[in-house]
Amino acid sequence: MILFTTSGLFTLLLASIPVGIILILLSIALDTFFSPFPLMRGLGQVVWSSSNSGTLIAIPFFVLLGEILVRSGVASRTYNALNSWLSWLPGGLIHANIATSTLFSATSGSSVATAATVATVATPQGDRLGYDPRLFTGAIAAGGTLGIMIPPSINLIVYGFLTETSIPRLFLAGLLPGILLALLFMLIVVALCVWKPSLGGQSPEYDWGQRMRGLPDLLPVMGLFVTIVVTIYAGIATPTESAALGVVFALIIAGLNRALTLDMLNEALRGTIKTTSMIMLVVIGAYVLNFALTALGISRQLQQLLEGLGLGAYGTLMVIVLIYIVLGFFIETLSLMVATIPIVVPIIESFGFDKIWFGILMIVLIEMALITPPVGLNLYVVQSVRKRGKMADVVAGALPFVLIMLGMVGLLILIPGLALWLPAAL
Amino acid sequence: MQGLVETLARINGYIALSAGIMLLVAVVAILTDVAMRAYGHPLGGTDELSGYVMAIATAWGVSYALTERAHVRIELIRNKLIPAGRAAMDLISLAALAGTAIVIGWRGWGVLASTLANDSRANTVLATPLAWPQTLWFAGWLWFAVSALLLLASCLVFVIKRDWSAVDDVAGVKAEL
Repeated sequence: MILFTTSGLFTLLLASIPVGIILILLSIALDTFFSPFPLMRGLGQVVWSSSNSGTLIAIPFFVLLGEILVRSGVASRTYNALNSWLSWLPGGLIHANIATSTLFSATSGSSVATAATVATVATPQGDRLGYDPRLFTGAIAAGGTLGIMIPPSINLIVYGFLTETSIPRLFLAGLLPGILLALLFMLIVVALCVWKPSLGGQSPEYDWGQRMRGLPDLLPVMGLFVTIVVTIYAGIATPTESAALGVVFALIIAGLNRALTLDMLNEALRGTIKTTSMIMLVVIGAYVLNFALTALGISRQLQQLLEGLGLGAYGTLMVIVLIYIVLGFFIETLSLMVATIPIVVPIIESFGFDKIWFGILMIVLIEMALITPPVGLNLYVVQSVRKRGKMADVVAGALPFVLIMLGMVGLLILIPGLALWLPAAL
Repeated sequence: MQGLVETLARINGYIALSAGIMLLVAVVAILTDVAMRAYGHPLGGTDELSGYVMAIATAWGVSYALTERAHVRIELIRNKLIPAGRAAMDLISLAALAGTAIVIGWRGWGVLASTLANDSRANTVLATPLAWPQTLWFAGWLWFAVSALLLLASCLVFVIKRDWSAVDDVAGVKAEL
């Protein structure tokens, strides 16, 4: 049955059938071949209850917030303001790439939209000032991945929903590792640019007056981020409520920038429904598969199989991490995460690991999948925005950041407190 | 056939826009609830209602994502094939989707039918008659099955005509940007 499920999953994935549909087909097949009683009679109820959720509605709200934000024209101002504060570092403009992508993706919850927006703003400047295109574009692709870790994160909402883990606690757990990753990204850029100054380019000089005058430009995005995070953590609002607040906040930002038009709103709303239902079809599929696997007791079988291998808790964890790294080369990120949660998380739990901690570990691995070829969404997005040079440049430029992420995986395993300290302390 | 596909895409676009506006209404309701709570008079029930909004928006939105070719597929092998091979994979993929959509619609009807038979109400303060949100929800999934079958039919016609680029337009994979 285990062999059937995993081989079925991969065959259907390779047949390029939509991922959400595959998960449902697989459940129907498991029901037909292995179940003593007709499970799929409950399919309708499972589809209803997996989408009828006041928690999950936070997803379209965060997507909408991002759709409005990327169309509001604040990206270029944020970028220039951040650059005035960071340009003195070796690597100059590259730090603004990382910081802007981090801030934008954290707030908008979308890695792809962020990578596209920041790449549009940044690449002309990078070319003009003579930066090495590899590290410059790689930094945008990598910075854009951090949004799925730093709250509010759609991926963490999905993880929390599927594993019945507290979403505010997951958000807290992601905060420190996310910020640490951003700082490590900047650190490696400094190190690389000190070692080989030709990787960088000219950095315009800024005085304190210019920096201070740039501060108001940081306010919209920073304010939005802080509002969302603080209202959730202070217990004033649920993630859904603070997401709703964020939507209104984003509308105001767009209005103040004179970017709020009916056309823009029309596009943003359609885009939101498209992205949301794309995510939800996969989530519903995972929920159905979860239901079938639990009813058939496959998780227990898998657990016995793994225990039989005698690898121990950490040995098993290593195998799982390796599987994610390999799969991450080929499978799109949300699908990779959602399709594997029903199988992997019960195993992790049975070995005594913390579900919240594993959620964060999984997110780092998923982030890596966003920037590893051949299937690395952010690489493609950045490449398609800059419209010249080779894809291989972006891939090479992202490599240092992949290494940092690998290091982060190790750190999280050695020091689980990195993720768990904050949720426990508050 | 091309006309049919375009019309379907346009209809689904308006459906998506309506679902989006419904989301905006939910935003307003939720924030009103938060504001009232601050004054000690919570409205209550917004969590339940936003759950229904989510279920209905998803049920209708999947058709839009379908005509926009936005549902996630793994293109590892597909990308390496000649146009005819791609068209074959697109056809298989769409057929699998249409079949599953029919099963979801059929099982969804089971949920609505038993709600109607038992006159079920939500186990909440509002005691919403579940038939209301579930009718809209079921109709959305039904429309998904209809959309998928219409696309499958057009796709078949294009395959028979060996018009691979038309197949790609209907059932292919849209580039991210």
